[in-house]
Amino acid sequence: MLRKLTPYLFILPLMAFLAVFTYVPILQSVNLSFREWDFMSPTKLWVGLENYQLLLSSRDFWNAVKVTTIFAVISVPLRLALALAIASYLVRETIVSRLMRGALFLPSVTSTVSIAVVFSWVFSTDYGMINAGLAWLGFERVQWMQDPQLALYVIIFVNTWKQLGYDIIIYIAGLQAVPTELYDAASVDGGRRLHVFRRVTLPLVMPTTYFLLVVSVIDAFQVFTIVNVMTKGGPAGATDMIVNMLYRVGFTLFDIGQGSALAVILFVFLIALAVLKARVIGRKVHYEA
Amino acid sequence: MVAKLPKLTGLGLVALLGSTSMTLADVSVEFWHSFSKNAGEALDQIIDNFEAENPGITIDAQHIGNYNDIVAKLQASIPAGREPDAVIMEVTRYGLFADRGVLMDLTDYVENDPLKDDLFDFAREVGVFDGKNYIVPFNSSTPVLYYNKAILEQAGVPEEPKLETYADVLAVAQQVQAELGDEGISGIAAPGQFARWGLIMDNDSDMIDSVSGEILLDAPNTVEAYEWMASLVHEHGVASADGVTTENQGRDAFLAGKVGMMMNSTGNYGRSVAALGDDLVVAPMPCNKVCRVPIGGAGIGILSSAEDEVKDAAWKFISYAASAESNAIWFSTTGYMPINKHTAEQPLAAEALETKPGIRVAIDQLGFAKGRPRPPVVTWMRATEYDMWQAMALGQRDVTETLDDFAARTRAEAERLAK
Repeated sequence: MLRKLTPYLFILPLMAFLAVFTYVPILQSVNLSFREWDFMSPTKLWVGLENYQLLLSSRDFWNAVKVTTIFAVISVPLRLALALAIASYLVRETIVSRLMRGALFLPSVTSTVSIAVVFSWVFSTDYGMINAGLAWLGFERVQWMQDPQLALYVIIFVNTWKQLGYDIIIYIAGLQAVPTELYDAASVDGGRRLHVFRRVTLPLVMPTTYFLLVVSVIDAFQVFTIVNVMTKGGPAGATDMIVNMLYRVGFTLFDIGQGSALAVILFVFLIALAVLKARVIGRKVHYEA
Repeated sequence: MVAKLPKLTGLGLVALLGSTSMTLADVSVEFWHSFSKNAGEALDQIIDNFEAENPGITIDAQHIGNYNDIVAKLQASIPAGREPDAVIMEVTRYGLFADRGVLMDLTDYVENDPLKDDLFDFAREVGVFDGKNYIVPFNSSTPVLYYNKAILEQAGVPEEPKLETYADVLAVAQQVQAELGDEGISGIAAPGQFARWGLIMDNDSDMIDSVSGEILLDAPNTVEAYEWMASLVHEHGVASADGVTTENQGRDAFLAGKVGMMMNSTGNYGRSVAALGDDLVVAPMPCNKVCRVPIGGAGIGILSSAEDEVKDAAWKFISYAASAESNAIWFSTTGYMPINKHTAEQPLAAEALETKPGIRVAIDQLGFAKGRPRPPVVTWMRATEYDMWQAMALGQRDVTETLDDFAARTRAEAERLAK
């Protein structure tokens, strides 16, 4: 009996931790999504599906879905492509590449708030470094953060800059695991560099790509700090992503019921997306050379 | 051993009495506030003085962030049971917390405290919601018009320019922009929300009628005021769009000597003097249709959830912070207005009035200063107004259409909150 229980006892502390800090809050969010509450009233009025109906009929919700989707569709492939390209170069063990790895990884461990504040000034229309450079070259000043057509791309740039170092390090680890004999064999067979990359490197780093894809898609749908500090979702909702809307609805507009409904929708969507990815891409991932 | 027993018993008694007196007398008040830099130092000085005079009370002061941060964090702390004992709340946003019973009714405390007669009428009024006292003002302000004398001179604007109407302000901003725009200097900072409210008031309107509670966001004079404010950015190009998306950037650029004029709270006086020195001039807000300015700032409230002895200690601190002595420290350091009738008699305040001429402008405006409405919907309205303003100021939405939409949504939200 004790023998059967032993493995469960080992995982019990972690399960208890997860239950308290993850599962119970998720269940509470689901419960709150069916209620009307402002954090302060003693009663949490049961309203059924009203919060979901209000959200699904709200212009702001569909705008947030659109903005977040555009963000994910652009930023995820951009991050992965750039990271793989740079990692392919930095995988060599030289002093320069080691220094570059450290330099590129630095933003990943820097406070997101600090990064966002610095970039707010870098992209400032009248006082920013980029526009000062453009003006010096004789170009017009660009309203980076005020133009709804541009603001989202600024956010994508800053987020990519911050996350790229992490992706690069993971890719380098993946590339280092590729057996060198395969490259030798390809070389003997007269394979060109691009061909070797497509036929040898890419398939063999597929597990790494798959891992980074899962992580970066989740990250893309949960971007908050950069948006909150740099634009607060503006101008005119152009960067209002789902988690920013969730914060605004729940913590600024005091509607915790709708905020929870939004969190539940995001949760279900991300799970569905993970399952879809596992079915479509996961089958193409091979873990052995 | 028997011989030592009386000694041991005596020592034990002393230790017991000592610990009991510690427990009874020592009260700690967790106090959340929004002040940093010179204002934070002035607050620390007031707290130190208070603790020296009240040895049994400790004020555990915690800087939480700006007013919005305090509202968000307070709200989140309530269900967690981790709310503070006392909190600074902005004067238009405490109504919701009072309405929901989060803040305690301070009327009895106020009525039984000599402070009642020492506070100016405006200071008493801003703390009243639904006929009861919920906060006691600590930092009161009105918006004023700051300008950089050196920039205006450089642009060829005559000394002490007439800045009484929207047209006057625009003319000066345009001259600065035309003369110095190429050097990266803007005419005026895009008005922040407090200044926007002031500009609406001096166009003889309001966001919400403070007496009837009627929502006036789509009233013709409000629309006209917003049209003018938005035109500064997207039509006349005299205000940087940076200050629209990040309001503090307009202020920071003014402090850095990159902007000719700025309409902002008197609470910025201390840092403006520090940044611009003798180049800083403080003028009253324009009187476009009428002379009227909103009263801003914040007051200290006590949480209903605090224990009784903590509430008493918190009240002692609130009363002390509003005393003439404390208020003189605060007023002379920050530029926030005096709230106590006897503040000006204090040497520190008298010296500040003598040596810092700009500090008097806000006091002179008190004759036409007006408290703002504070029904529960104001918190929602103010949070939403930022998006509306951005859309109008950046020329992305028509002003009338935006304000019609905003007014309708605010009315719907007011109805929802009243349920």
